[in-house]
Amino acid sequence: MALVPLEERARRIRRTIVRLAASPTGCHLGGSLSVVEVLVALLGRVMKVDPKEPRAEVRDHLILSKGHAAAGLYAALAEFGFIDAEELVRRYNAKGSDFTGHVSAKVPGVDFPTGSLGHGVGLGVGLSLGHRLRQRPNRVYVVCGDGEMGEGSNWEALQVAAHHRLANLTVIVDRNGGQNDGPTESILSQKALGERLRAFGLQTAEVDGHDLDALCAALESPSEAPRAIVANTQKGAGVPMLRGKGPHYAVFSADHLRRALASLGEVAP
Amino acid sequence: MTAPVQGGADLAVAPEAWLGENPTLSNRQVFRHALARFADEDPRVVLLEADLAGGGDPFEARHPGRFINLGICEATMLDVACGMAATGQVVFAHTFAAFGAMRACEQVRLGMAYGRANVKLVCDYGGLSGAFFGPTHHAIEDLAILRAMPGMTVVSPADALETVQALRALIDLDGPVYLRLGRNRVSRRETSWPAFELGRAMCLREGDDVGLIAHGDVGVAVALEAAGRLEAQGVSARVMNMHTLKPLDEAALQETAERTKLLVTVEEHSVLGGLGGAVCESVCSLGLGVRVVRTGIQDRYDATAGSHEELLQRHGLDGAALAERILHALPRPRRAALVPALRRG
Repeated sequence: MALVPLEERARRIRRTIVRLAASPTGCHLGGSLSVVEVLVALLGRVMKVDPKEPRAEVRDHLILSKGHAAAGLYAALAEFGFIDAEELVRRYNAKGSDFTGHVSAKVPGVDFPTGSLGHGVGLGVGLSLGHRLRQRPNRVYVVCGDGEMGEGSNWEALQVAAHHRLANLTVIVDRNGGQNDGPTESILSQKALGERLRAFGLQTAEVDGHDLDALCAALESPSEAPRAIVANTQKGAGVPMLRGKGPHYAVFSADHLRRALASLGEVAP
Repeated sequence: MTAPVQGGADLAVAPEAWLGENPTLSNRQVFRHALARFADEDPRVVLLEADLAGGGDPFEARHPGRFINLGICEATMLDVACGMAATGQVVFAHTFAAFGAMRACEQVRLGMAYGRANVKLVCDYGGLSGAFFGPTHHAIEDLAILRAMPGMTVVSPADALETVQALRALIDLDGPVYLRLGRNRVSRRETSWPAFELGRAMCLREGDDVGLIAHGDVGVAVALEAAGRLEAQGVSARVMNMHTLKPLDEAALQETAERTKLLVTVEEHSVLGGLGGAVCESVCSLGLGVRVVRTGIQDRYDATAGSHEELLQRHGLDGAALAERILHALPRPRRAALVPALRRG
């Protein structure tokens, strides 16, 4: 398992995500696909986590503040051994299951339930302050959406992170350019997002959010301040039939699923 | 805001002696001293503020490393509190009730309640205690909102000693809590009360004509004063201190309903959704078949300047007005005999 290349992991996670899109309820497909490399870089390379001990005291933390991308997070947690992929596909959004359409903290590997936007940075600041107080090495990674940066609570919490110089905190913005009702730039512009994060006091990098090497380099660069990474991504990335469309939410037909899996290197049965 | 402490009593060991040595401290100041003292023995306790610590906070002085003033960002303070709690701290977050319960409402709902965080939201300025500061600084809806959140424990202590005892119990309770305080009242009990037990209403006075169910420094004081006035008129009142609004002590409620002819809730909160609402819900669902008169803040925003006491009087929250209202509400034989003696004016 440990020798599986990260690119292959990303491809497998996408296969799981498109399967979840083909479940009776569908899923938040565009933003789940856009964030795959970010999650792979974190769970597969940068973060110190053990799927056998997801609640260990000393470890790193991942908060998916853009909690509507639950399908992406669950699929990544399955790829890295926190949960069973087949069970996820069978039980996603189904009666009695823990796999709700927005992130549930009942799922191993999840610290906080998310879905209402604008809470992850504040929760992450609290984790960072608490671990610093306890002199633990735990690092905290918060993944937001670019549309989500419209929530003022994110900027409140970023001020606190910078003021307290929380070097154990990293905020990654999945800049996929879309939100529920359309393109972010036409609804509430997030132009100069990197400059604004920098001005707020975060050590900020802007990278191609589908380039695993670039993501890992940015995530592993040393910092004395809290870090922000603007990950420029595509909604629906990795599935050619979605190029330029990148639906926010989708319910796949059997035919959609077959085509999507084929493009991800899997021959349908 | 906080005066230096007098005397040598230990607040944790002999709270009554400590309060005797510090007779002018308000209940919310007592809270700060008690939290600072209890934190001596519990390194998990931290205190977060959003620029309303008031200066000279005893917790800050004693435990500077565990005191964080986050600035004016109540919503973020509550998210931060929930994040910190996940690292094993017992996180106290303080602000005014209007801001804790309403501005930060979603953070309280999702982080504290849904996330089951070990966070204690402590709010002063409950009810109309913000007085002349106006409705932006009143909280007449907070208990209705917090009570509706699954898993939340809601406590409103009636005096300084109960504030200390409730705080002691809440530190040991693993889960989300809303502790509601007033502003400047200095409340010291005049008689001995039963031991404080979280979730168990305490009977402060026995009686069989009317059952007064109250919480908080204003509600309990008004209920006790009304009971004294009623006694002078030959009406006996049972007074229950329902300091824990959630979980509600339904056994005590049922016992009070069975022993009296009328229930009256008394609280510094809107007559919608607070203790009055909680009692009515349980009276109906338990089929107790008794009338409930809900007294409290009327269903309106009161942008009238004046002292706290003056505002309370405008809503009938004083012992004389309450006694008169009860006499009107009691079954007829008594009312006819007693009303003239109490009519004011």
